[in-house]
Amino acid sequence: MTGRPARVPRVFPLVLGVLVLGVVLASALPGVAATAAPSPAPGTGTAAPPRPGQTQFQRGESLYQSSCASCHGQAGQGSQRGPTLIGVGAASVDFWVGTGRMPLAEERVDAQRRAPAFDEQDIDALVTYVTSFGGDGPAIPTVHPGDLTLGREIYLQNCAACHSAGGSGYTQVGGQVAPSLLEATPVQVAEAIRIGPGQMPQWPEEVLDQGQVDAVVTYVQELQRLPNRGGLDLGRIGPVTETVVGFAGVALLLVVIRRLGKRAP
Amino acid sequence: MITRWMVRRLDDRLGFSPVARSGLNKVFPDHWTFMMGEIALYSFTYLVLSGVFLTLFFDASTTRTTYEGGYAPLAGSEVSAAYASSVQLSMDVRFGLVARQSHHWAALLFTGAIVVHLCRIFFTGAFRRPRGVNWVVGVTLLVLAIANGFAGYSLADDLLSGTGLRVANAVLLSIPVVGAWAEFLAFGGEFPAEAMIPRLYVVHILVVPALIVTLITAHMVILVRQKHSHFPGPGRTDTNVVGSRLWPGYAVRSLGLLFAVVALCLLLGGLVQINPIWLWGPFEPGSATAPSQPDWYVGWLDGALRLWPAWEPIVFGHRLPALFVPAIVLPGLTFLGLYLYPLLERLMTGDRAPHQVLQRPRERPGRVAFGVAALTFYGLLLTAFSIDVVSKFTGIPVYLLIYTFRVAVPALPVVTGLVAFVLARALRDSGADGFLALTWADVRGALRRRKPVPEAPSATEEPREAAPEEPDEEREPEQAEPEPVRVPAGPVP
Ligand code: HEC
Ligand code: HEC
Repeated sequence: MTGRPARVPRVFPLVLGVLVLGVVLASALPGVAATAAPSPAPGTGTAAPPRPGQTQFQRGESLYQSSCASCHGQAGQGSQRGPTLIGVGAASVDFWVGTGRMPLAEERVDAQRRAPAFDEQDIDALVTYVTSFGGDGPAIPTVHPGDLTLGREIYLQNCAACHSAGGSGYTQVGGQVAPSLLEATPVQVAEAIRIGPGQMPQWPEEVLDQGQVDAVVTYVQELQRLPNRGGLDLGRIGPVTETVVGFAGVALLLVVIRRLGKRAP
Repeated sequence: MITRWMVRRLDDRLGFSPVARSGLNKVFPDHWTFMMGEIALYSFTYLVLSGVFLTLFFDASTTRTTYEGGYAPLAGSEVSAAYASSVQLSMDVRFGLVARQSHHWAALLFTGAIVVHLCRIFFTGAFRRPRGVNWVVGVTLLVLAIANGFAGYSLADDLLSGTGLRVANAVLLSIPVVGAWAEFLAFGGEFPAEAMIPRLYVVHILVVPALIVTLITAHMVILVRQKHSHFPGPGRTDTNVVGSRLWPGYAVRSLGLLFAVVALCLLLGGLVQINPIWLWGPFEPGSATAPSQPDWYVGWLDGALRLWPAWEPIVFGHRLPALFVPAIVLPGLTFLGLYLYPLLERLMTGDRAPHQVLQRPRERPGRVAFGVAALTFYGLLLTAFSIDVVSKFTGIPVYLLIYTFRVAVPALPVVTGLVAFVLARALRDSGADGFLALTWADVRGALRRRKPVPEAPSATEEPREAAPEEPDEEREPEQAEPEPVRVPAGPVP
């Protein structure tokens, strides 16, 4: 105790150091993975500015040939690097390019939402060009304000199991992430319902009619702007984050009693 | 003046003053860890108060009604009265949402504080004779708190808690032989039964709270009869209690804690969302939401369910559903173990003497090892309940996490237990103040004398336990604190 010679080296700081190092390393790993995922390589998305007198179709063709053909083929017939685009429909092209998923920078990367590589005009041009390959995929849906209550019901029955009731997204067992819906535009939500990107099922007109799709889209918009009633929403993932906050509360109360009581025995 | 007159009059008739006087004079130990149980007590007080408010607006029935409140996405929907009134309470009643949320937060604090309090009792050996009775009462309180928490958040009849009830129902059904009967008793028929919500309501607001109040009273009465234990120190013996009197010293401190607990509940309730049932939506058998977890005090069971492989062994001609072991056997053994621990330790150490002086955790490295291993085990199970959420945020695939936890849950407690054993022993033998003062030599010393069985410190260790305490005898308590009060210990020895 008091008379004890201070012997070095001390164990605890060392143990602590190792722990901290471990935590830092562990947290760095996902970071490494994240930085390894390439952002769209410069050049794939940024095509030359439109030449004067170019029609929309020609503009689309030149964008397609420079940014998409390497994977989807000269005439959209597909290759080992990408599926065929013949017959995918306008909604599909608009969704995949409009959410920034296309052009994919590298084949092995999962397509994920990011800032779109093209502006609206160029996306329209691409849509016009790719739909000229033929087929009768879904057109770009138009959305109108829908019935909120109906939208909530359909959403909870069809979408919440993957995207979570709060719309903040969730992992599927298959490994593909059903993303957060809090960033999608109304048209993109409707497009997703019609085309069923990736692992998501597709709801054609016969299953969900126009009014129902409008309703879901309206509810998703409501989720996006829902004021955080009751305070901070903790990611809308329920008890996991609530547990963290609850334990922090207990810890705070321990600090309180630590100050109220005495430390000496 | 008038109060004094009234008190006199009352006292003439009721003769309470001797009781009150001895009550006010009761001595409370000053060490801060003695207040952990009080956090639980005050959270419970707040739970009762806010709960009464909630009952004024909640309608515990599964009758279909139309919600006609101000929450637009639900307006005009036909839902159960329980769900409709819960949303109404949250959206349309002034203070309703704060009351509901603070009630829920208080439940998390309540259960959390009980566990922390339990850890203090465990690691300081406060459960030894004569306090075995109160240990049993305390463990029962923990069980009741968990049960009432589950019943409480299931009342709203929302999609998330409905998912939990469905699992609970499947768990009951998984019990061999009596499963269907248990289901009928608890839920009133096949899931989802109409009687479910009203039954849970009676359990939640009447049966279990009444039991909790009774047991808390018993807990307190036993505590007052036996008097508090205290930590070893100058002037502390097995025949006295050292601390501050309830009035005026301790009461001020305790009231301060009451205010702190209530303030925290209200602050959390007002500022941080908990269980947004309007987002989860009403429970419908065909719907689901994910991620779906229970509150943390049931979360360790959810974690076990996620990790347990889908084995369905046949035992005595009955196929045991995969749910049975993680959801029935695990909690059964857990609480059985908790109830019996004082007995087991007595058998192991042969220490049957009554004790008023607590042990520092380091005095029993074997107990420290066991406790730390158990905490690691249940902590890992609780962490496992968040596997899918963790997977979403880190990108690590779910199956990888599951396999990792399947290895870690049995293996890591052994490691942490051994580390705790060595450290506790190094602390004990070196007499160091804390971990920060430990040196390699201390640890090496503790490692060298490692015996094959870490449990059961042998009798030779007794003198060493006492040794470091000796020099303290002379020292006066530091600082100019008011001299602590000493009174003889209770009716025990
Ligand atoms: C690096 C290769 C690559 C490039 C470049 C690329 N894609 Fe893709 N594309 C893919 C792959 C792979 C898929 C399948 C993705 C999936 O299902 O997750 C895909 C899917 C699509 C789909 C959906 C097809 C379906 O069956 O639903 C569309 C539409 C699409 N791409 C359009 C484009 C457009 C337009 C461009 C150019 C702006 C482009 N892609 C550039 C590889 C690429
Ligand atoms: C089986 C699970 C599943 C269901 C059910 C489901 N989704 Fe999805 N959803 C996904 C997956 C997976 C993706 C990501 C696809 C990709 O990136 O390739 C996705 C993507 C989306 C996106 C694109 C989000 C963005 O910002 O890029 C929207 C919008 C969407 N879904 C809406 C819906 C709606 C509305 C419903 C209900 C009608 C629904 N989803 C039902 C799995 C699902």
